[in-house]
Amino acid sequence: MSHPPDRGVSRRSFLKGSAIAGIATTGLTAAAEAAELHRPPSELGPGEHEITLSINGKARLVKVETRTTLLDALRDRLDLTGAKKICDRGACGGCTVLVDDLPVNSCLMLAVDAVGCELRTVEGLADPADPKATHPLVQNFVACDALQCGFCTPGMVMSSLSCLERRGTPTEAQMRHDLSGNLCRCGTYGRVMEAIERTAKGEGGGR
Amino acid sequence: MRPFTYVLPTSLEQAAEAATQPDTIVKAAGIDIVDRMKERLVTPQKVVNLLPLKRELSQIAEQNGEVTIGAMVTLTQLQEAKQLQGRAYDGLRRAASTTGTPQVQNRATVAGNLLQFTRCWYVRSEAFRCLHGGRGPTCLAMTGDNRYHAVMGWSDCVRVHPSNLAPALLALGAEYTTRAGEAVRRRKLADLFPADPRAQNPEHTLEDGEIVTALHLPAQPADTRLGYAESREKQSFDWATTACAVRVVMAGGKITAADLVLGAVGPVPMAKPQAAQLLVGKEPSEKLFLRVAEAAFAGATPLAFNAYKLPIGKAVVRAALEEATR
Repeated sequence: MSHPPDRGVSRRSFLKGSAIAGIATTGLTAAAEAAELHRPPSELGPGEHEITLSINGKARLVKVETRTTLLDALRDRLDLTGAKKICDRGACGGCTVLVDDLPVNSCLMLAVDAVGCELRTVEGLADPADPKATHPLVQNFVACDALQCGFCTPGMVMSSLSCLERRGTPTEAQMRHDLSGNLCRCGTYGRVMEAIERTAKGEGGGR
Repeated sequence: MRPFTYVLPTSLEQAAEAATQPDTIVKAAGIDIVDRMKERLVTPQKVVNLLPLKRELSQIAEQNGEVTIGAMVTLTQLQEAKQLQGRAYDGLRRAASTTGTPQVQNRATVAGNLLQFTRCWYVRSEAFRCLHGGRGPTCLAMTGDNRYHAVMGWSDCVRVHPSNLAPALLALGAEYTTRAGEAVRRRKLADLFPADPRAQNPEHTLEDGEIVTALHLPAQPADTRLGYAESREKQSFDWATTACAVRVVMAGGKITAADLVLGAVGPVPMAKPQAAQLLVGKEPSEKLFLRVAEAAFAGATPLAFNAYKLPIGKAVVRAALEEATR
């Protein structure tokens, strides 16, 4: 996997990045909060800032503008191109990633808003250096031939993963509901549900 | 999207103050606003982000039967809230569950849903210069492709109000609290929508810098039921073409009180008290529901391409009534 070009961390941008992280994750103590009331709120932008995102369990520094969407940050800045930019309006689900375990459209979320959240992308389900570590759901997508052109697949996999994690053994109605935000023009939904079912039953996949 | 300065308040006081600055908008999850900023329909210099206040603004609490819903409760949280599981809230949960997609529901907030900008394809496209917001001389939908537009309550702009939650919340008699500077105000939810929904008036009546902080559902009498039904072209990621929320209170097999609100048929959610009144004191019956549905759409004035909304809307009213009285 290639790495994005070196960005360099200035002390100032690092502090700003951690300030947002602090607000989003820990909140403030009562005393600090009272002092904060009489201070103008912190501001970011409009230029670039370095922020820290937690992606697939790893802290990643990334330089973004306030207007950069999470999807653009992942694809263009972090070289995580699994999530796809298709409609860029939250209508297709191709950009689905898990934010604190829930599937969301990364094209409708600003990257800055993801500070302090646990992000999971399709890249977290496989390790190119260790094929055996591939998540059983992904193996079952392959085993069930649950894709044709494959463009919707990363988003479909993330919605399927969340469905499995939240429901254990989902019913067909639950699967239909959970996949209803992912458009597949090849019509692979039946196979996708098969892959979910197989994974729920503990079948490891494999060809 | 144009560059902007992002304001990160740590208190509601700070947010309310920052929101009064010129060329500033307030954003929660941003499902609607990020979309409009991408289209350059809004190009603010500053965006006040409410997400740092999410913990404070996303509580759901019940006291003496009154349920208070934080403005930033997501549509997913709304469906799962233990305080909202009874039959009196069936229609509210259903309205939330039909909104957008699961991905949208996981982020979209209750107040954001109520305050979303119209989905009129002329208004929402930078390429068109329509009367809405004073961008052009006439309402382009009035004589253009108006298949998804208003069939009642319109004057010089035929947009429809897109919120799924609004009819359900209105039928429950909801109120809303806002914060503007130091002022905290609580009003009837109907006041959030303009009484005279002309092109120059925005979708809501909030003043500059006024932030919705909570919604309140009054205690419901025993055996209250809320039905909700809608028509739509797609089962996912679509807005209703017609919608109806109906609240009935049942006693001894009869309806003792009723409220009926239509969605997606006018520039604001349309309460229909006269249609609802027909239900009071009666036993539920197919014949009665037909009369109520006719009354709900009495006096409707459809446009060239949306007369289909009348028969479908009436069927939707009956479906909501059947659900509520089943």
